[in-house]
Amino acid sequence: MPTKDCRGEKCPRESKPNVLKNPVNRFAPILLPAATAAIFLLIWHLLVRLSGSDLFPTPLDVARGIQELVEKGLLLKYIVASLFRVSWGFMLAVLVGVPLGLILGWFRPAFQALNPMIQILRPISPIAWIPVAILWFGIADSAPVFLIFLASVFPITVSSMAAVQNMQLVYLRAAQNFGVTGMQLFRRVIFPAALPQIITGIRIALGIAWLVVVAAEMIAVNSGLGYLIIDARNAGKRYDLVVAGMVMIGLIGLVLDLLIRRLERFDEVKWGYGQR
Amino acid sequence: MKLISTTFLLGALWLVLISVTHGHLNLKWFAPKVAGTTAAGDKFRIGFLPVTCHLTCPVTDFINQQVEGQSMFEPVRFSGWPELKEAFLSGYTPATFILAPMAMALREQGVPIKVVYLGHRDGSAVMVHKDSQIYRMEDLRGKRIAVPNRYSNQRLLVFRALKQANMTVQDIELVEMPPPDMPAALYSKAVDAISSGEPFMAQTELDGYGRVLWLTKDVWPNFISCVLAVHEDFIKNDRETVQRLVDGIASSGKWLDTTMENRMDAAKFVSKNYYNQHPRLLEFVLSKPPDRVKYTNLALRKPDFEEIEALALQAGVIQKDVIFEDYTDASFVPDDSAVKAHAYQGLQGGEVPPRK
Repeated sequence: MPTKDCRGEKCPRESKPNVLKNPVNRFAPILLPAATAAIFLLIWHLLVRLSGSDLFPTPLDVARGIQELVEKGLLLKYIVASLFRVSWGFMLAVLVGVPLGLILGWFRPAFQALNPMIQILRPISPIAWIPVAILWFGIADSAPVFLIFLASVFPITVSSMAAVQNMQLVYLRAAQNFGVTGMQLFRRVIFPAALPQIITGIRIALGIAWLVVVAAEMIAVNSGLGYLIIDARNAGKRYDLVVAGMVMIGLIGLVLDLLIRRLERFDEVKWGYGQR
Repeated sequence: MKLISTTFLLGALWLVLISVTHGHLNLKWFAPKVAGTTAAGDKFRIGFLPVTCHLTCPVTDFINQQVEGQSMFEPVRFSGWPELKEAFLSGYTPATFILAPMAMALREQGVPIKVVYLGHRDGSAVMVHKDSQIYRMEDLRGKRIAVPNRYSNQRLLVFRALKQANMTVQDIELVEMPPPDMPAALYSKAVDAISSGEPFMAQTELDGYGRVLWLTKDVWPNFISCVLAVHEDFIKNDRETVQRLVDGIASSGKWLDTTMENRMDAAKFVSKNYYNQHPRLLEFVLSKPPDRVKYTNLALRKPDFEEIEALALQAGVIQKDVIFEDYTDASFVPDDSAVKAHAYQGLQGGEVPPRK
């Protein structure tokens, strides 16, 4: 958060004096979510106990399931496999989606030609693409990478496109007054102006890419957190491992989001958020 | 630009790092090649599901590794029928274990598939919740029954049982559901009866909420659900390998049906190395009773298939009469009396060696 934009009442919690006055506030960012998690786990535990079901696992069962996976050395393998697929699918989506979005946002004919097609493809769930992915790529790593690419490329394209289209005209006019045109205009004005919104789109897309990992790994790959869930369903009464897979996907999703939020701290992007 | 260059640099570094780690942990890129063995890519792949109907596939792979030091094929495990079928269609798995009616339907639709051998006989059941009042087929009137797939023989089995009870499919409600989801569905009473290949039926019995309504052997003796099928090109290009495959499967079947010790060993090594299930599940299915599923008498017999054809036609999964000689190639089937069990002594009380 840029300090210059904190106009007193807008963001008092970030200001230093307040933290010093009240030491509880310093730990609030850790204590509050931890308390929420503890209450959630307690309710979960109680509900399972109350239902009397021995199929649905308690939080403790899940913890033991995770421990078992760690001991077998599977957890690291699966996390790496899932991250591998999501990384490639997502990075390819960024490399394709951002330039495509910029072009579509700037050149009106390109937008008119391609936008309807994009809007048709965008709502199709990656699960529906599974048969196509298997027929095209077999069941090697390329098939899940393709599915993750598909899931994340459209949000990135659309947000980049919108970023250019919604750019404030004043930047453009100023640049034109200075005689900036062509590639120069694109590189020096349009792209930097659109960047904050592009980053937001990328952040949302990463969430979607990670969300799709279970569906993508339903294809018969033999590793990954999504595979862990499918495999545990095959294994009879191992719903503790099913939930363990869910928990791991959630936790890693949280870490990924924290990491990508760091992009927002760069000066090139920060100004865009400061205005809001 | 600082942001762009930093992100690209870190992104590229991350891609390299995660790819190398993935290659090391999951793809075994850096594992030293054992002399004399071929890389996994050189072997042909066979698709299978973690059900007892396909048990001879992992058994053949395991015994080949133990006796000859290497397997002739790479077994690829799937979780559902659609993915298994699509991998076959794409040519990824030139050979596959598949539902007999599905193979017929694919052939009818012009897919170059040939059934070369059976996978098993019997090995399915219809289970109901132990608290339910369902004791006969007639009690299922108006109830919901789950079957694995419209092309599954379990669906045909239900058709046959309905006919025997003078009922029609209109008297019940059939739903399609992947076998691994069935136990939970029966437990929560989302369905009244479930039917699929083992061990998912036995699981409900072991966990204490399922009751056998009937086993296949009671309604349809020598029931066939899954067959071994290969791509026509595979037969054209490499008859010798297809023959070795069929012989291997036949010997595994014989080995499984020779002694109960062999079956218990198979339950251990297949559970641990291939199915990732609790061994007691397979132990239960393979022994209680021993003829719950059988792995001998696997030759392709026309009358068996004609029976399936008739039911498949009636159930609407095939459109017209299919020709036995068209969708099968019986030339690889060994003489039943000449089939020898694998010369494998079993685990002999030892630990299960890891899969190579």
